[in-house]
Amino acid sequence: MAAKIASGAMKSLGSIRRDFAPWLDQAAVPFIRFEAVTKRFGGFEAVDDLSLSIYEGEFFALLGASGCGKSTLLRMLAGFEAPTSGRIVLDGEDMADIPPYRRPVNMMFQSYALFPHMSVEKNIAFGLKQEGMAKGDISERVEQVLKLVKLEDFAKRRPDQLSGGQRQRVALARSLAKRPKVLLLDEPLGALDKKLREETQFELADLQYQLHTTFIMVTHDQEEAMTLADRIAVMDKGRILQVATPAEIYEAPNSRFVADFVGNVNIFEGKVAAATGDRVTIATSAGRKIHVASEVPVVAGQAVSYVLRPEKLRISAEPLSGPNVLEGEVWDIAYFGPVTSFHIRLDDGSTVKVAMVNATRQGPLQLTWHDRAFVQFDEDAGLVLTQ
Amino acid sequence: MTSWRLTKFNVVSMVFGFAFLYLPILLLVVYSFNASRLVTVWGGFSTVWYRELWNNRGLLDAAWVTLKVGLISASVATILGTMAAIALSRYKRFSGRTLMTGMVYAPLVMPEVITGLSLLLLFVAIDLDRGFLTVTLAHISFTMCFVTVVVQSRLMSFDRSLEDAAMDLGATPTVTFFQVTLPLIWPAVAAGWMLAFTLSLDDLVIASFTTGPGATTLPMKIYSQVRLGVTPEINAVCTILIAIVSVGVVAATLLNKRRLVRQARDERLAAGG
Repeated sequence: MAAKIASGAMKSLGSIRRDFAPWLDQAAVPFIRFEAVTKRFGGFEAVDDLSLSIYEGEFFALLGASGCGKSTLLRMLAGFEAPTSGRIVLDGEDMADIPPYRRPVNMMFQSYALFPHMSVEKNIAFGLKQEGMAKGDISERVEQVLKLVKLEDFAKRRPDQLSGGQRQRVALARSLAKRPKVLLLDEPLGALDKKLREETQFELADLQYQLHTTFIMVTHDQEEAMTLADRIAVMDKGRILQVATPAEIYEAPNSRFVADFVGNVNIFEGKVAAATGDRVTIATSAGRKIHVASEVPVVAGQAVSYVLRPEKLRISAEPLSGPNVLEGEVWDIAYFGPVTSFHIRLDDGSTVKVAMVNATRQGPLQLTWHDRAFVQFDEDAGLVLTQ
Repeated sequence: MTSWRLTKFNVVSMVFGFAFLYLPILLLVVYSFNASRLVTVWGGFSTVWYRELWNNRGLLDAAWVTLKVGLISASVATILGTMAAIALSRYKRFSGRTLMTGMVYAPLVMPEVITGLSLLLLFVAIDLDRGFLTVTLAHISFTMCFVTVVVQSRLMSFDRSLEDAAMDLGATPTVTFFQVTLPLIWPAVAAGWMLAFTLSLDDLVIASFTTGPGATTLPMKIYSQVRLGVTPEINAVCTILIAIVSVGVVAATLLNKRRLVRQARDERLAAGG
């Protein structure tokens, strides 16, 4: 609910791709539909009464901690697991009785699952052979996808003669070779080191843009989900908490869990002291009054939390003007290069996190450990949440 | 790791150990080339007993029977044993799994006399004429479990996502088995076959119980001849058997070694990035 309100209120937080937002179009028909899907393993509910629509051409990410049910959802779509109840519809067709080898989806496995006894070429051709494609067409297609992942010179090699990054590309090429309607990616970049992961992220996004294939990715890495996906579903305990664009998830989370799971956040818990229109005064449990703007209607006495991203605060050694000025002591400083993160112990005993962009080389602040510091945020810097 | 050096003590224990194991076999091989008819008296080098052997129809027939029984029973046992191994390692939760595991492994520890006797009783009960067929069936039933053990241990380290990937790419379960699973577990299946073949080759007890006229195996023939006195021909036959078994063992070791070398290389590459 909150997501809907937020997307209405914040028009600028749309898709990264201009003019691509089929989920806002009432007339658009979803390409994949999970309808009240539940999956139980023994007594454990991996997926709990989950409904979700994904549109053609979307790059969709399922984000959550391990054990949240995201991989089970992917495996059900691939056909390796059958839902305990509910329905999965792909391109208008109920998938219930269709075995994995007849589904128009292909999966890139977390372990890559390359056949160790076959060359790169044979690995990629494997799926095409099952289709009964003619020999000449197969070699043409293999060449084509190898070019796509820039591995033309490695066709004759065996998987054990490739580096981790090259194996990842072969796995990707193999899953794309059959031109599936949907490509499923299970932690596609999980096994790569940080530098390679960043490079590959952009290549993956480019590839999806070129091919217009629907991509569904499972990941526990919020940065990966934010960089790649058109929309993200944040999952916990087999349920979806919020489905929205990366910007909405970050700037307009619908619950404390989502706000806390994605990125860093300050959470002020408290009760509404006064509310006039969208102006709200919150009495925090630490005994402070903050003045904020609320996008959701609240009434006096209601328990709410105010979530505030660290980079939305200003910090200074000198007293600051404006609403919501907090004062405290510098407790911790972490220098990351592009940003510096401060932990300020406020005089009321609570701690706030402040991130400052290092826009100049010298750094504008002379703050160090145990200095007095002033922190300020505007009324619309954060978000009032009721759940 | 402690460094491992050839001290005098180590050399002596090694010599004694190997001598204890292989001296009798070596003696047998040497005496098979003895020119003398007396088994324990050296009369100069000769291959006469190998030529004699060639003319000994009884021994040759027995060898042929043994070879046929070994080839057929090892092949059938490998198919059945591999199937059992797959069922046991794949389907973790079917009713009677524990019972089946126990039943598959029981022949490993069952005294051969009991296996032989019970098979004999069965064949008598169902009125099956004892001969080539019954020996072969008996050998299938007692070598199958060895194949299962070998193949199952390989399947434990098998990455099941490979099979998922094959099916995801459109391969039916049958195609997946023959094009992905089998080629990867093949060394274990081959090792199982060789084990089954060797076991069948030197079995005396179970064959004695279950065979009939016209299907005397080589171990039975040798045993009955030895009771009348050891002839140098027996030494020659045994030397040939040892040669066959050695070739099998060396081949199995090389197969295994190749796999280990490849595995080590994979790990090195994976570690290197």
